[in-house]
Amino acid sequence: MSEASPAIQVQNLRKIYGDKAAVDGLTFTVPRGCFFGFLGPNGAGKTTTIKMLMGLAPPTSGSIQLLGLPMPDRALDIKQLIGLVPDESLLFDHLTGGEFIEFVGRIYGLDRSVARERALELMELFELEGNQRKLIAEYSKGMRKRVAMAAALIHRPQLYLMDEPFEGVDAVGARLMKEILLEQVRHGATIFLTSHVLEVVERLCDRVAIINEGKLVQEGSMAELRGASDTLEDAFVRAVGVGRGTETLDWL
Amino acid sequence: MRNFYPRAGAGWTALIGSLWYGFWLVAAVAGCRLVADPANLGLVKSALPGAMLIIFLYWQVVPLLMAATGASLDLRKLQCYPIPPSQLFAIEVVLRVTAGVEMILILCGVALGIALNPALAAGDALAVTPYILFNLLLAVGLRDLLMRLLAHKRIREAVFFLLIMAAAVPRFLIAREPSAASQLARFFTSDSWIGWPWGAAASLALGLHVWNAAGILAGWTLAAAVFSRWQFAQTLSFDRESAQAGDGGAKPRQGMLESFYRIPSTLFPDPMAVLIEKEIRFLVRSPRFRLVFLMGFTFGVVTLLPISLGRGGGVFLGTNYLTLVSVYALLLLSEVCFWNSFGFDRSAAQIYFLAPLPFWRVLVAKNISALFFIALEIGAVTTVCALLGMPLGLVRLSEAFAVAGVVTIFLLCAGNLMSIHQARGVNPSTQFRSNAAGRVQAMLFIIYPVAFFPAALAYLARWAFDQELAFFAVLAFDAVAGIVLYRIALDSAVQAAERLKETMIAALSAADGPITS
Repeated sequence: MSEASPAIQVQNLRKIYGDKAAVDGLTFTVPRGCFFGFLGPNGAGKTTTIKMLMGLAPPTSGSIQLLGLPMPDRALDIKQLIGLVPDESLLFDHLTGGEFIEFVGRIYGLDRSVARERALELMELFELEGNQRKLIAEYSKGMRKRVAMAAALIHRPQLYLMDEPFEGVDAVGARLMKEILLEQVRHGATIFLTSHVLEVVERLCDRVAIINEGKLVQEGSMAELRGASDTLEDAFVRAVGVGRGTETLDWL
Repeated sequence: MRNFYPRAGAGWTALIGSLWYGFWLVAAVAGCRLVADPANLGLVKSALPGAMLIIFLYWQVVPLLMAATGASLDLRKLQCYPIPPSQLFAIEVVLRVTAGVEMILILCGVALGIALNPALAAGDALAVTPYILFNLLLAVGLRDLLMRLLAHKRIREAVFFLLIMAAAVPRFLIAREPSAASQLARFFTSDSWIGWPWGAAASLALGLHVWNAAGILAGWTLAAAVFSRWQFAQTLSFDRESAQAGDGGAKPRQGMLESFYRIPSTLFPDPMAVLIEKEIRFLVRSPRFRLVFLMGFTFGVVTLLPISLGRGGGVFLGTNYLTLVSVYALLLLSEVCFWNSFGFDRSAAQIYFLAPLPFWRVLVAKNISALFFIALEIGAVTTVCALLGMPLGLVRLSEAFAVAGVVTIFLLCAGNLMSIHQARGVNPSTQFRSNAAGRVQAMLFIIYPVAFFPAALAYLARWAFDQELAFFAVLAFDAVAGIVLYRIALDSAVQAAERLKETMIAALSAADGPITS
């Protein structure tokens, strides 16, 4: 693993389902230590891309390198170095938050006592200590996201892959999570996240890529992307195009 | 229907369904021929009330005992729409057909036989219609009542225990009092009182006491309609979350239980230890698993014990009691431990593909957890047998554990493959399966004989050579062959998981639709 290699390097990545290309020739690079926003409208191929990066879906063609290691050839080595927050629930409902975080820590090779100690500290950091004895099944959506993020942090990964990490999280929780993620970047970690909340991406990310219908339509620093536009939202709408417009149905 | 019969595994479902319902269709045709022959009129007259009672019991009791009550509406998802409750109720009544298709087939066969029998009036065949309606309505009411009772954490195990005890009462009575057998037998013969719904239905179908029978059956059907409508209204206003809140039934506890969860860490290194530990914690807290575990333990004990102690059990049941109960417990546990071992994990199963560990470890950890619970179940049954003074020699104990162990190995071989190829998300908080009990029984009758075949060879060897040594030698050979097969099946399952992980995760993540358990 070369320290000089980018955190993520994707070359001509394609994923075909039936006769439809969910991801169509995607090429982009995420430098190390970068907070990278991966944007696109619904059905653009964001989740499929992140699933391929995580190793959950094999690409039809193209190549992926994470932290200088080829995926899926070095999948086990890569998995050891990354932290994941997928969009769907990754949590076992009949464990408590602390038990789940400890479980993840031990899966990633931490000693039992270390995993337990870190799990308790993370529960405290994410303000979940009052729910120590509650099962995850009883958690709210926001609390579940906090547990998922806490679990992603426990083995101190070098690269985070996050699919909609702030979805369903209240303002206090979102702020807390953002601060923690920024702290990770300051310590040299790389974060690759997808989000529909453009204000969040605008505040957090150094670089942004926008995809539409499986193809990369724009990539660059936040300033480059915004260009003459006032906000990232304007740049995003310009990049993906406005569909129906503002007309409404006659009967509505 | 798409929700009840998902496309994943449609071929398997079709095969099992064809075999199972094909069997009942043949039974219905046989029933039709029997009833249609005027020479059998005497037999039909004496046996029909009993047949109607068996149909009633199969329809109402078997789904509860098999923990599979068929499809049902998830009212929480439908209540926000402007659908009149009467329409929802009507749909629910129709959905109860899924729990009694076999009996409808048999009743149709009986009705056709009556219509074809020249000694009976063709119009009498219509008697089965109100009887079907009565059973459908009663099934709605009973299911709704039971679902609400079982939603309360503190009382659900007690309720189910009472149900099992109720099922065992006739056997206890027969074992204790010989005259009870003849009294119970009256329910199944032409002596059965016409006031019972099965008695009235049989009388009506045979053209006997027509007006009385019609009035009684109409009364029972009306009572069932009122009961089911009342229970349905109760379910509509039932607050499940409120019922489940505020008690510590499944809350994780410290102390002894925590030490129990940590047992794997004393026996295995991580990550195997943590995988097994997670499985044990998860299953112990899952109402569905607890119910199945309780059933495997109590149902076998309370139903088979009186027979083995009393009359009619024979030497075989007396000497093989422990093995039979152990194997029965194994059958029940296999549904949650073998056939769909990722079902309870649902979308969280993707963590096994995301984490830095080879997938074979996950399967082996799940298998070890299954073995742990099976050993615990058999251990509990053994303890009860010892407390009741059953003859428990070393040979019988060894036999029970060895037979259960060999069968388990073969079930694990098939289970690991099925867990990958037929993965389907299961809500661990629901007690009953949404699939019909018939499908579960079909699995028992079709799949299990194959898994039991190696153990059956051991019994054959014991019979042929009249030696315990031959029995245990064949079991030992079975075990070795099973382990070799297990390795092959495990490799195959791991390869299939890598190939099918997208499909598998999608199937496990599929949310419940408006028709569920």
